[in-house]
Amino acid sequence: MSSTEPSQNKTWELSLYELHRTPQEVITDATEIAVSPRSLHSELMCPICLDMLKKTMTTKECLHRFCNDCIITALRSGNKECPTCRKKLVSKRSLRPDPNFDLLISKIYPSRDEYEAHQELVLAKLSMSHSQASLVNSITEGIKLQSQNRPQRSRKNHDESSNASNSNGNVETVQNGSNSATPKDGTSSSGNPAQSGQSTSNPASVRSTPSPVPSNVSSVSKNTSTTKRAKSVLTSERSEESESSDGRTEGENSMDTEGEGEPLNPNEIELVFKPHPTEMTGDNQLMRALCDNSVRYLKTTPNASVDHLSKYLAMRLTLDLDAELPEALRLLNFCIYVAPSPGQFVLLAGSQTLRQIIDKFWKVNKPLEMFYSWKKT
Amino acid sequence: MAQNINPHYASSSNPAKQSEDTIKLKDNHAVSKRLQKELMELMRCSDKGISAFPESENLFKWIGTINGPLETVYAGHKYKLSLEFPNSYPYAPPVVKFMTPCFHPNVDTCGLICLDILKDKWTALYDVRTVLLSIQSLLAEPNTQSPLNQQASYLWPNQAAYKKYLDEFYNKHKDS
Repeated sequence: MSSTEPSQNKTWELSLYELHRTPQEVITDATEIAVSPRSLHSELMCPICLDMLKKTMTTKECLHRFCNDCIITALRSGNKECPTCRKKLVSKRSLRPDPNFDLLISKIYPSRDEYEAHQELVLAKLSMSHSQASLVNSITEGIKLQSQNRPQRSRKNHDESSNASNSNGNVETVQNGSNSATPKDGTSSSGNPAQSGQSTSNPASVRSTPSPVPSNVSSVSKNTSTTKRAKSVLTSERSEESESSDGRTEGENSMDTEGEGEPLNPNEIELVFKPHPTEMTGDNQLMRALCDNSVRYLKTTPNASVDHLSKYLAMRLTLDLDAELPEALRLLNFCIYVAPSPGQFVLLAGSQTLRQIIDKFWKVNKPLEMFYSWKKT
Repeated sequence: MAQNINPHYASSSNPAKQSEDTIKLKDNHAVSKRLQKELMELMRCSDKGISAFPESENLFKWIGTINGPLETVYAGHKYKLSLEFPNSYPYAPPVVKFMTPCFHPNVDTCGLICLDILKDKWTALYDVRTVLLSIQSLLAEPNTQSPLNQQASYLWPNQAAYKKYLDEFYNKHKDS
Protein backbone atom coordinates (compact mmCIF):
# COMPACT_ATOMS: atom_id res chain seq x y z
CA MET A 1 0.00 0.00 0.00
CA SER A 2 2.38 2.64 1.22
CA SER A 3 4.93 1.70 -1.37
CA THR A 4 2.75 2.95 -4.20
CA GLU A 5 2.18 6.32 -2.59
CA PRO A 6 5.26 8.17 -3.71
CA SER A 7 4.50 7.63 -7.37
CA GLN A 8 0.92 8.84 -6.93
CA ASN A 9 2.03 11.96 -5.16
CA LYS A 10 4.48 12.76 -7.86
CA THR A 11 4.29 16.38 -8.89
CA TRP A 12 4.91 17.23 -12.50
CA GLU A 13 7.02 20.22 -13.19
CA LEU A 14 4.90 21.75 -15.90
CA SER A 15 5.66 25.04 -17.51
CA LEU A 16 3.07 27.77 -17.70
CA TYR A 17 2.55 26.93 -21.34
CA GLU A 18 1.98 23.28 -20.55
CA LEU A 19 -0.54 24.13 -17.85
CA HIS A 20 -2.58 26.36 -20.11
CA ARG A 21 -2.37 24.72 -23.46
CA THR A 22 -5.36 22.99 -24.97
CA PRO A 23 -5.24 19.97 -27.23
CA GLN A 24 -5.14 20.56 -30.95
CA GLU A 25 -8.29 19.71 -32.84
CA VAL A 26 -8.02 16.42 -34.64
CA ILE A 27 -7.95 16.88 -38.38
CA THR A 28 -10.52 14.58 -39.93
CA ASP A 29 -10.98 16.09 -43.37
CA ALA A 30 -8.48 16.40 -46.19
CA THR A 31 -6.84 19.53 -44.76
CA GLU A 32 -3.15 19.70 -45.52
CA ILE A 33 -0.71 21.58 -43.37
CA ALA A 34 2.57 22.69 -44.89
CA VAL A 35 5.65 22.05 -42.78
CA SER A 36 9.01 23.41 -43.82
CA PRO A 37 11.70 20.76 -44.34
CA ARG A 38 13.93 22.55 -41.88
CA SER A 39 11.50 22.57 -39.00
CA LEU A 40 10.57 18.99 -39.77
CA HIS A 41 14.21 18.03 -39.76
CA SER A 42 14.78 19.62 -36.38
CA GLU A 43 11.92 17.54 -34.98
CA LEU A 44 13.23 14.28 -36.37
CA MET A 45 16.86 14.93 -35.63
CA CYS A 46 18.90 13.44 -32.83
CA PRO A 47 20.53 16.41 -31.08
CA ILE A 48 23.65 14.37 -30.39
CA CYS A 49 24.66 13.05 -33.81
CA LEU A 50 22.59 15.64 -35.71
CA ASP A 51 21.37 12.82 -37.92
CA MET A 52 17.85 11.55 -38.27
CA LEU A 53 16.80 9.57 -35.21
CA LYS A 54 17.69 5.91 -35.37
CA LYS A 55 16.10 3.46 -32.93
CA THR A 56 14.55 6.33 -31.01
CA MET A 57 14.79 6.34 -27.23
CA THR A 58 12.74 8.79 -25.20
CA THR A 59 13.57 9.88 -21.69
CA LYS A 60 10.74 8.84 -19.44
CA GLU A 61 10.47 12.00 -17.41
CA CYS A 62 11.46 14.86 -19.65
CA LEU A 63 10.45 13.23 -22.95
CA HIS A 64 13.55 14.16 -24.94
CA ARG A 65 14.45 11.92 -27.85
CA PHE A 66 17.79 10.50 -28.92
CA CYS A 67 19.14 7.64 -31.02
CA ASN A 68 19.59 4.54 -28.94
CA ASP A 69 23.34 4.42 -29.58
CA CYS A 70 23.82 8.12 -28.93
CA ILE A 71 22.07 8.31 -25.58
CA ILE A 72 23.64 5.08 -24.34
CA THR A 73 27.10 6.38 -25.19
CA ALA A 74 26.28 9.74 -23.63
CA LEU A 75 25.11 8.18 -20.37
CA ARG A 76 28.12 5.91 -20.29
CA SER A 77 30.65 8.63 -20.88
CA GLY A 78 29.23 11.58 -19.01
CA ASN A 79 26.97 12.73 -16.29
CA LYS A 80 23.89 10.71 -15.60
CA GLU A 81 21.57 13.38 -16.82
CA CYS A 82 19.48 14.20 -19.84
CA PRO A 83 21.83 15.86 -22.35
CA THR A 84 19.05 18.26 -23.33
CA CYS A 85 17.74 19.44 -19.97
CA ARG A 86 20.02 17.91 -17.31
CA LYS A 87 17.17 15.99 -15.69
CA LYS A 88 18.64 13.06 -13.76
CA LEU A 89 18.76 9.85 -15.75
CA VAL A 90 19.63 7.09 -13.36
CA SER A 91 20.25 4.40 -15.93
CA LYS A 92 19.00 2.90 -19.14
CA ARG A 93 15.76 2.29 -17.30
CA SER A 94 15.06 6.00 -17.36
CA LEU A 95 14.62 5.62 -21.09
CA ARG A 96 12.03 3.85 -23.17
CA PRO A 97 12.13 2.82 -26.81
CA ASP A 98 9.83 4.88 -28.99
CA PRO A 99 8.81 2.62 -31.89
CA ASN A 100 5.97 4.96 -32.82
CA PHE A 101 8.41 7.69 -33.56
CA ASP A 102 10.52 5.32 -35.64
CA LEU A 103 7.39 4.44 -37.59
CA LEU A 104 6.61 8.11 -38.09
CA ILE A 105 10.06 8.71 -39.51
CA SER A 106 9.82 5.74 -41.83
CA LYS A 107 6.47 7.02 -43.07
CA ILE A 108 7.82 10.48 -43.78
CA TYR A 109 11.11 9.23 -45.22
CA PRO A 110 10.35 5.82 -46.77
CA SER A 111 13.70 5.78 -48.55
CA ARG A 112 15.85 6.66 -45.63
CA ASP A 113 18.84 4.63 -46.80
CA GLU A 114 18.81 6.53 -50.05
CA TYR A 115 18.61 9.81 -48.19
CA GLU A 116 21.56 8.87 -46.04
CA ALA A 117 23.61 7.67 -48.98
CA HIS A 118 22.93 10.95 -50.72
CA GLN A 119 23.93 12.91 -47.67
CA GLU A 120 27.18 10.98 -47.36
CA LEU A 121 27.90 11.84 -50.97
CA VAL A 122 27.34 15.54 -50.44
CA LEU A 123 29.56 15.57 -47.37
CA ALA A 124 32.25 13.62 -49.17
CA LYS A 125 32.14 16.04 -52.11
CA LEU A 126 32.32 18.99 -49.77
CA SER A 127 35.35 17.70 -47.96
CA MET A 128 36.97 16.70 -51.24
CA SER A 129 36.55 20.12 -52.78
CA HIS A 130 37.78 21.57 -49.52
CA SER A 131 41.05 19.65 -49.69
CA GLN A 132 41.39 19.84 -53.46
CA ALA A 133 40.98 23.56 -53.38
CA SER A 134 43.73 23.92 -50.84
CA LEU A 135 46.05 21.67 -52.82
CA VAL A 136 45.56 23.49 -56.11
CA ASN A 137 45.82 26.81 -54.44
CA SER A 138 48.89 25.98 -52.44
CA ILE A 139 50.70 25.51 -55.72
CA THR A 140 49.36 28.51 -57.58
CA GLU A 141 49.50 30.78 -54.56
CA GLY A 142 53.12 29.98 -53.95
CA ILE A 143 54.10 30.95 -57.45
CA LYS A 144 51.96 34.04 -57.55
CA LEU A 145 52.94 35.33 -54.16
CA GLN A 146 56.60 35.09 -54.99
CA SER A 147 56.17 37.32 -58.00
CA GLN A 148 54.07 39.87 -56.16
CA ASN A 149 55.98 39.74 -52.96
CA ARG A 150 57.64 43.08 -53.20
CA PRO A 151 54.76 45.42 -54.07
CA GLN A 152 52.50 43.71 -51.61
CA ARG A 153 54.90 43.99 -48.78
CA SER A 154 55.11 47.73 -48.99
CA ARG A 155 51.34 47.98 -49.25
CA LYS A 156 50.86 45.76 -46.25
CA ASN A 157 53.25 47.75 -44.17
CA HIS A 158 51.12 50.71 -44.81
CA ASP A 159 47.86 48.97 -44.06
CA GLU A 160 49.14 47.42 -40.90
CA SER A 161 50.10 50.76 -39.49
CA SER A 162 46.76 52.30 -40.33
CA ASN A 163 45.13 49.38 -38.59
CA ALA A 164 47.18 49.90 -35.53
CA SER A 165 45.85 53.37 -35.27
CA ASN A 166 42.32 52.11 -35.42
CA SER A 167 42.56 49.39 -32.86
CA ASN A 168 42.43 51.44 -29.72
CA GLY A 169 39.14 49.84 -29.10
CA ASN A 170 36.71 52.71 -28.97
CA VAL A 171 33.85 52.95 -31.36
CA GLU A 172 34.69 56.23 -33.00
CA THR A 173 38.02 55.05 -34.28
CA VAL A 174 36.38 51.88 -35.45
CA GLN A 175 33.96 53.85 -37.50
CA ASN A 176 36.38 55.98 -39.36
CA GLY A 177 38.41 52.85 -39.77
CA SER A 178 35.80 51.36 -42.05
CA ASN A 179 37.04 53.64 -44.78
CA SER A 180 40.34 51.91 -44.87
CA ALA A 181 38.69 48.57 -45.51
CA THR A 182 38.62 49.51 -49.13
CA PRO A 183 42.02 50.20 -50.51
CA LYS A 184 42.93 53.82 -50.98
CA ASP A 185 45.94 55.89 -50.31
CA GLY A 186 44.87 56.35 -46.72
CA THR A 187 46.44 59.68 -45.96
CA SER A 188 43.53 60.31 -43.62
CA SER A 189 44.95 58.13 -40.88
CA SER A 190 48.40 59.66 -40.88
CA GLY A 191 47.41 62.29 -38.37
CA ASN A 192 46.65 59.78 -35.64
CA PRO A 193 49.27 59.90 -32.93
CA ALA A 194 48.92 56.21 -32.13
CA GLN A 195 50.15 55.26 -35.53
CA SER A 196 53.74 56.26 -35.21
CA GLY A 197 54.01 54.69 -31.79
CA GLN A 198 52.56 51.41 -32.93
CA SER A 199 54.50 51.03 -36.07
CA THR A 200 57.78 51.66 -34.37
CA SER A 201 57.04 49.53 -31.33
CA ASN A 202 56.58 46.32 -33.23
CA PRO A 203 58.28 46.62 -36.56
CA ALA A 204 59.30 42.98 -36.39
CA SER A 205 55.77 41.67 -36.53
CA VAL A 206 54.77 44.09 -39.23
CA ARG A 207 57.58 43.03 -41.44
CA SER A 208 57.72 39.37 -40.71
CA THR A 209 54.07 38.33 -40.74
CA PRO A 210 53.02 39.29 -44.24
CA SER A 211 55.70 37.34 -46.00
CA PRO A 212 56.16 33.86 -44.51
CA VAL A 213 54.68 32.20 -47.55
CA PRO A 214 56.99 33.48 -50.22
CA SER A 215 60.08 33.35 -48.05
CA ASN A 216 59.98 29.80 -46.74
CA VAL A 217 58.83 27.66 -49.58
CA SER A 218 58.15 24.48 -47.62
CA SER A 219 54.94 22.99 -48.88
CA VAL A 220 53.59 22.43 -45.40
CA SER A 221 53.52 26.04 -44.38
CA LYS A 222 52.05 27.01 -47.69
CA ASN A 223 49.32 24.53 -47.30
CA THR A 224 48.12 25.81 -43.98
CA SER A 225 48.29 29.39 -45.00
CA THR A 226 46.22 28.85 -48.10
CA THR A 227 43.53 27.06 -46.23
CA LYS A 228 43.50 29.86 -43.76
CA ARG A 229 42.82 32.19 -46.58
CA ALA A 230 40.12 29.95 -47.89
CA LYS A 231 38.61 30.10 -44.47
CA SER A 232 38.31 33.82 -44.39
CA VAL A 233 36.72 33.71 -47.80
CA LEU A 234 34.13 31.34 -46.49
CA THR A 235 33.42 32.82 -43.13
CA SER A 236 33.13 36.43 -44.00
CA GLU A 237 30.21 36.45 -46.35
CA ARG A 238 27.41 38.71 -45.25
CA SER A 239 23.98 38.11 -46.54
CA GLU A 240 22.07 40.90 -48.14
CA GLU A 241 19.70 41.29 -45.22
CA SER A 242 22.30 41.55 -42.55
CA GLU A 243 24.20 44.06 -44.60
CA SER A 244 21.28 46.40 -44.68
CA SER A 245 19.87 45.80 -41.23
CA ASP A 246 23.07 46.05 -39.34
CA GLY A 247 25.45 48.20 -41.26
CA ARG A 248 27.33 49.62 -38.36
CA THR A 249 28.19 46.33 -36.70
CA GLU A 250 29.30 44.97 -40.02
CA GLY A 251 31.73 47.79 -40.38
CA GLU A 252 32.97 47.12 -36.92
CA ASN A 253 33.37 43.44 -37.61
CA SER A 254 35.40 44.08 -40.66
CA MET A 255 37.64 46.35 -38.69
CA ASP A 256 38.14 43.76 -36.05
CA THR A 257 39.13 41.20 -38.58
CA GLU A 258 41.78 43.46 -39.84
CA GLY A 259 43.02 44.34 -36.40
CA GLU A 260 43.70 40.83 -35.25
CA GLY A 261 42.18 37.99 -37.25
CA GLU A 262 44.70 37.15 -39.94
CA PRO A 263 48.12 38.56 -39.53
CA LEU A 264 48.77 37.52 -43.11
CA ASN A 265 45.90 39.57 -44.46
CA PRO A 266 45.67 42.85 -42.66
CA ASN A 267 43.41 44.22 -45.36
CA GLU A 268 39.97 43.27 -46.55
CA ILE A 269 38.26 43.63 -49.86
CA GLU A 270 34.55 44.05 -50.27
CA LEU A 271 33.09 42.60 -53.37
CA VAL A 272 29.78 42.09 -55.06
CA PHE A 273 29.07 39.03 -57.17
CA LYS A 274 26.47 39.45 -59.87
CA PRO A 275 25.35 37.02 -62.51
CA HIS A 276 26.87 37.69 -65.93
CA PRO A 277 24.21 39.85 -67.67
CA THR A 278 24.32 38.07 -71.01
CA GLU A 279 25.42 34.56 -70.10
CA MET A 280 23.21 34.19 -67.06
CA THR A 281 19.80 35.20 -68.34
CA GLY A 282 16.41 34.31 -66.95
CA ASP A 283 16.11 31.05 -68.86
CA ASN A 284 19.34 29.72 -67.41
CA GLN A 285 18.56 26.76 -65.17
CA LEU A 286 20.74 27.96 -62.33
CA MET A 287 19.32 31.47 -62.48
CA ARG A 288 15.86 30.12 -62.12
CA ALA A 289 16.86 28.12 -59.07
CA LEU A 290 18.63 31.11 -57.53
CA CYS A 291 15.75 33.59 -58.03
CA ASP A 292 16.52 36.62 -55.88
CA ASN A 293 19.63 35.15 -54.37
CA SER A 294 21.82 35.65 -57.38
CA VAL A 295 23.65 38.73 -56.07
CA ARG A 296 26.20 37.97 -53.35
CA TYR A 297 28.18 40.27 -51.14
CA LEU A 298 31.31 39.23 -49.41
CA LYS A 299 34.36 40.49 -47.67
CA THR A 300 37.58 38.65 -48.11
CA THR A 301 41.32 39.02 -48.19
CA PRO A 302 43.30 40.40 -51.12
CA ASN A 303 45.15 37.10 -51.31
CA ALA A 304 42.06 35.13 -52.29
CA SER A 305 42.38 33.91 -55.85
CA VAL A 306 39.74 33.54 -58.52
CA ASP A 307 39.93 29.78 -57.92
CA HIS A 308 39.07 30.37 -54.29
CA LEU A 309 36.11 32.47 -55.27
CA SER A 310 34.68 30.02 -57.77
CA LYS A 311 35.09 27.15 -55.30
CA TYR A 312 33.43 29.29 -52.73
CA LEU A 313 30.54 30.15 -55.03
CA ALA A 314 30.04 26.51 -55.93
CA MET A 315 29.97 25.43 -52.29
CA ARG A 316 27.86 28.33 -51.13
CA LEU A 317 25.23 28.00 -53.83
CA THR A 318 25.08 24.23 -53.42
CA LEU A 319 24.41 24.70 -49.73
CA ASP A 320 21.77 27.35 -50.29
CA LEU A 321 19.89 25.61 -53.03
CA ASP A 322 20.24 22.09 -51.74
CA ALA A 323 16.74 20.76 -52.29
CA GLU A 324 15.75 22.77 -55.35
CA LEU A 325 18.93 22.10 -57.24
CA PRO A 326 18.75 19.35 -59.85
CA GLU A 327 21.46 16.72 -59.48
CA ALA A 328 23.11 17.77 -62.74
CA LEU A 329 23.84 21.20 -61.31
CA ARG A 330 25.40 20.04 -58.11
CA LEU A 331 29.02 20.28 -59.06
CA LEU A 332 29.22 23.81 -60.29
CA ASN A 333 31.99 25.45 -62.20
CA PHE A 334 32.08 29.18 -62.59
CA CYS A 335 33.73 31.60 -64.93
CA ILE A 336 34.47 34.84 -63.16
CA TYR A 337 34.64 38.19 -64.93
CA VAL A 338 35.43 41.74 -64.01
CA ALA A 339 34.05 44.74 -65.90
CA PRO A 340 36.61 47.57 -66.02
CA SER A 341 34.13 49.62 -68.03
CA PRO A 342 30.41 49.04 -68.52
CA GLY A 343 29.68 46.27 -71.01
CA GLN A 344 33.29 45.12 -71.17
CA PHE A 345 33.78 41.75 -69.44
CA VAL A 346 37.23 40.37 -68.86
CA LEU A 347 37.48 36.67 -68.02
CA LEU A 348 39.80 36.12 -65.08
CA ALA A 349 42.35 33.34 -64.76
CA GLY A 350 41.98 31.08 -61.75
CA SER A 351 45.33 31.94 -60.23
CA GLN A 352 44.83 35.71 -60.17
CA THR A 353 44.41 37.15 -56.72
CA LEU A 354 42.03 39.93 -55.82
CA ARG A 355 44.94 42.22 -55.14
CA GLN A 356 46.19 41.76 -58.70
CA ILE A 357 42.71 42.19 -60.13
CA ILE A 358 42.15 45.39 -58.24
CA ASP A 359 45.52 46.77 -59.24
CA LYS A 360 44.85 45.95 -62.86
CA PHE A 361 41.16 46.60 -63.38
CA TRP A 362 39.57 48.31 -60.42
CA LYS A 363 41.16 51.61 -59.61
CA VAL A 364 38.04 53.24 -58.19
CA ASN A 365 37.37 53.37 -54.47
CA LYS A 366 34.18 51.32 -54.26
CA PRO A 367 33.41 47.65 -53.68
CA LEU A 368 34.81 45.43 -56.40
CA GLU A 369 32.12 44.15 -58.74
CA MET A 370 32.53 40.75 -60.27
CA PHE A 371 30.33 38.68 -62.55
CA TYR A 372 29.91 34.95 -62.60
CA SER A 373 28.57 32.60 -65.19
CA TRP A 374 28.02 28.93 -64.90
CA LYS A 375 30.09 26.56 -67.02
CA LYS A 376 28.27 23.54 -68.27
CA THR A 377 31.37 21.38 -68.49
CA MET B 1 24.74 -6.51 -3.85
CA ALA B 2 27.32 -3.79 -3.54
CA GLN B 3 25.29 -0.69 -4.05
CA ASN B 4 28.13 1.75 -3.85
CA ILE B 5 29.76 0.51 -6.97
CA ASN B 6 29.01 2.33 -10.13
CA PRO B 7 27.16 -0.27 -12.22
CA HIS B 8 28.99 0.84 -15.32
CA TYR B 9 32.37 -0.11 -13.95
CA ALA B 10 31.15 -3.00 -11.86
CA SER B 11 29.10 -4.92 -14.38
CA SER B 12 31.66 -5.66 -17.03
CA SER B 13 34.71 -3.54 -16.76
CA ASN B 14 36.79 -5.46 -19.24
CA PRO B 15 34.35 -6.14 -22.07
CA ALA B 16 32.97 -2.61 -21.81
CA LYS B 17 36.42 -1.14 -22.19
CA GLN B 18 37.02 -3.26 -25.23
CA SER B 19 33.78 -2.38 -26.95
CA GLU B 20 34.39 1.29 -26.29
CA ASP B 21 37.69 1.09 -28.08
CA THR B 22 36.10 -0.45 -31.13
CA ILE B 23 33.34 2.13 -30.98
CA LYS B 24 35.98 4.81 -31.04
CA LEU B 25 37.57 3.49 -34.21
CA LYS B 26 34.30 3.02 -35.98
CA ASP B 27 32.97 6.34 -34.76
CA ASN B 28 35.77 8.46 -36.06
CA HIS B 29 33.59 8.72 -39.11
CA ALA B 30 30.60 9.68 -36.99
CA VAL B 31 32.64 12.39 -35.30
CA SER B 32 33.76 13.92 -38.59
CA LYS B 33 30.22 13.73 -39.80
CA ARG B 34 28.92 15.64 -36.85
CA LEU B 35 31.72 18.22 -37.16
CA GLN B 36 30.93 18.61 -40.83
CA LYS B 37 27.28 19.19 -40.05
CA GLU B 38 28.21 21.79 -37.47
CA LEU B 39 30.41 23.48 -40.04
CA MET B 40 27.62 23.56 -42.61
CA GLU B 41 25.24 25.00 -40.06
CA LEU B 42 27.76 27.63 -38.99
CA MET B 43 28.33 28.63 -42.59
CA ARG B 44 24.62 28.77 -43.29
CA CYS B 45 23.76 31.15 -40.50
CA SER B 46 26.75 32.60 -38.78
CA ASP B 47 26.07 34.41 -35.55
CA LYS B 48 27.16 37.93 -35.01
CA GLY B 49 30.40 38.12 -33.22
CA ILE B 50 31.57 34.52 -33.46
CA SER B 51 33.02 32.43 -36.24
CA ALA B 52 34.89 29.17 -36.59
CA PHE B 53 36.48 27.07 -39.30
CA PRO B 54 38.76 24.02 -39.44
CA GLU B 55 42.37 25.06 -39.27
CA SER B 56 43.44 22.85 -42.15
CA GLU B 57 42.18 19.66 -43.72
CA ASN B 58 42.09 18.13 -40.27
CA LEU B 59 38.49 18.49 -39.21
CA PHE B 60 39.41 17.85 -35.57
CA LYS B 61 41.16 21.15 -35.04
CA TRP B 62 39.34 24.43 -35.56
CA ILE B 63 40.16 28.07 -35.11
CA GLY B 64 37.39 30.21 -33.69
CA THR B 65 37.06 33.94 -33.22
CA ILE B 66 35.04 35.85 -30.69
CA ASN B 67 34.28 39.53 -30.77
CA GLY B 68 34.23 41.13 -27.37
CA PRO B 69 30.58 41.56 -26.37
CA LEU B 70 29.18 45.00 -27.05
CA GLU B 71 28.68 47.39 -24.16
CA THR B 72 31.31 45.67 -22.08
CA VAL B 73 34.95 46.46 -21.48
CA TYR B 74 35.77 43.87 -24.12
CA ALA B 75 33.80 45.63 -26.89
CA GLY B 76 35.91 46.17 -29.98
CA HIS B 77 38.37 43.43 -29.10
CA LYS B 78 38.69 40.28 -31.13
CA TYR B 79 40.03 37.01 -29.77
CA LYS B 80 41.22 33.97 -31.61
CA LEU B 81 40.77 30.56 -30.02
CA SER B 82 41.79 27.02 -30.84
CA LEU B 83 39.36 24.14 -30.50
CA GLU B 84 40.61 20.55 -30.51
CA PHE B 85 38.08 17.78 -30.69
CA PRO B 86 38.78 14.41 -29.09
CA ASN B 87 37.72 11.19 -30.83
CA SER B 88 35.03 10.89 -28.20
CA TYR B 89 33.42 14.18 -29.27
CA PRO B 90 30.60 15.14 -28.69
CA TYR B 91 30.50 12.92 -25.60
CA ALA B 92 33.60 14.69 -24.33
CA PRO B 93 34.20 18.43 -24.66
CA PRO B 94 36.68 19.98 -27.07
CA VAL B 95 39.85 21.47 -25.62
CA VAL B 96 39.40 25.21 -26.06
CA LYS B 97 42.15 27.75 -25.56
CA PHE B 98 42.65 31.43 -26.21
CA MET B 99 45.33 31.97 -28.84
CA THR B 100 45.12 35.73 -28.52
CA PRO B 101 46.29 36.52 -24.98
CA CYS B 102 43.23 37.41 -22.96
CA PHE B 103 43.22 39.36 -19.73
CA HIS B 104 40.27 37.92 -17.84
CA PRO B 105 39.63 36.55 -14.33
CA ASN B 106 38.88 33.07 -15.68
CA VAL B 107 41.61 32.79 -18.31
CA ASP B 108 45.17 31.95 -17.36
CA THR B 109 48.36 33.14 -19.00
CA CYS B 110 48.49 30.08 -21.28
CA GLY B 111 44.99 30.79 -22.57
CA LEU B 112 43.33 28.02 -20.59
CA ILE B 113 39.73 28.76 -19.74
CA CYS B 114 37.95 27.92 -16.52
CA LEU B 115 34.40 27.25 -17.63
CA ASP B 116 32.17 24.53 -16.22
CA ILE B 117 30.59 23.53 -19.52
CA LEU B 118 34.03 22.71 -20.89
CA LYS B 119 34.58 20.38 -17.95
CA ASP B 120 32.04 18.64 -15.74
CA LYS B 121 28.97 20.45 -17.07
CA TRP B 122 29.61 19.41 -20.65
CA THR B 123 26.78 17.66 -22.47
CA ALA B 124 26.70 16.21 -25.96
CA LEU B 125 24.28 18.93 -27.00
CA TYR B 126 26.87 21.66 -26.84
CA ASP B 127 28.60 22.43 -30.08
CA VAL B 128 31.13 24.86 -31.49
CA ARG B 129 28.55 27.60 -31.72
CA THR B 130 27.27 27.31 -28.16
CA VAL B 131 30.79 26.90 -26.77
CA LEU B 132 31.95 30.11 -28.44
CA LEU B 133 28.81 31.95 -27.35
CA SER B 134 29.34 30.76 -23.78
CA ILE B 135 32.92 31.99 -23.80
CA GLN B 136 31.75 35.28 -25.25
CA SER B 137 29.33 35.73 -22.38
CA LEU B 138 31.99 34.64 -19.90
CA LEU B 139 33.98 37.65 -21.08
CA ALA B 140 31.12 39.90 -20.02
CA GLU B 141 30.36 38.07 -16.80
CA PRO B 142 33.44 36.61 -15.20
CA ASN B 143 33.32 34.43 -12.14
CA THR B 144 35.53 36.39 -9.78
CA GLN B 145 35.09 33.84 -6.99
CA SER B 146 37.45 31.26 -8.47
CA PRO B 147 39.90 33.24 -10.55
CA LEU B 148 42.74 31.86 -12.65
CA ASN B 149 44.02 35.39 -13.03
CA GLN B 150 44.10 37.01 -9.57
CA GLN B 151 45.02 40.43 -10.87
CA ALA B 152 42.11 40.56 -13.29
CA SER B 153 39.74 39.38 -10.63
CA TYR B 154 40.99 42.00 -8.20
CA LEU B 155 40.74 44.76 -10.79
CA TRP B 156 37.33 43.75 -12.14
CA PRO B 157 35.16 45.77 -9.69
CA ASN B 158 36.80 48.97 -10.86
CA GLN B 159 35.60 48.90 -14.45
CA ALA B 160 37.31 52.11 -15.54
CA ALA B 161 40.71 50.95 -14.35
CA TYR B 162 40.02 47.47 -15.68
CA LYS B 163 39.23 48.83 -19.12
CA LYS B 164 42.34 50.97 -19.20
CA TYR B 165 44.57 48.05 -18.28
CA LEU B 166 42.70 45.68 -20.58
CA ASP B 167 43.04 47.94 -23.62
CA GLU B 168 46.75 48.36 -23.04
CA PHE B 169 47.14 44.63 -22.58
CA TYR B 170 45.11 43.87 -25.69
CA ASN B 171 46.93 46.32 -27.91
CA LYS B 172 50.26 45.02 -26.74
CA HIS B 173 49.45 41.35 -27.25
CA LYS B 174 46.85 41.10 -29.98
CA ASP B 175 49.42 40.43 -32.67
CA SER B 176 51.38 37.83 -30.78
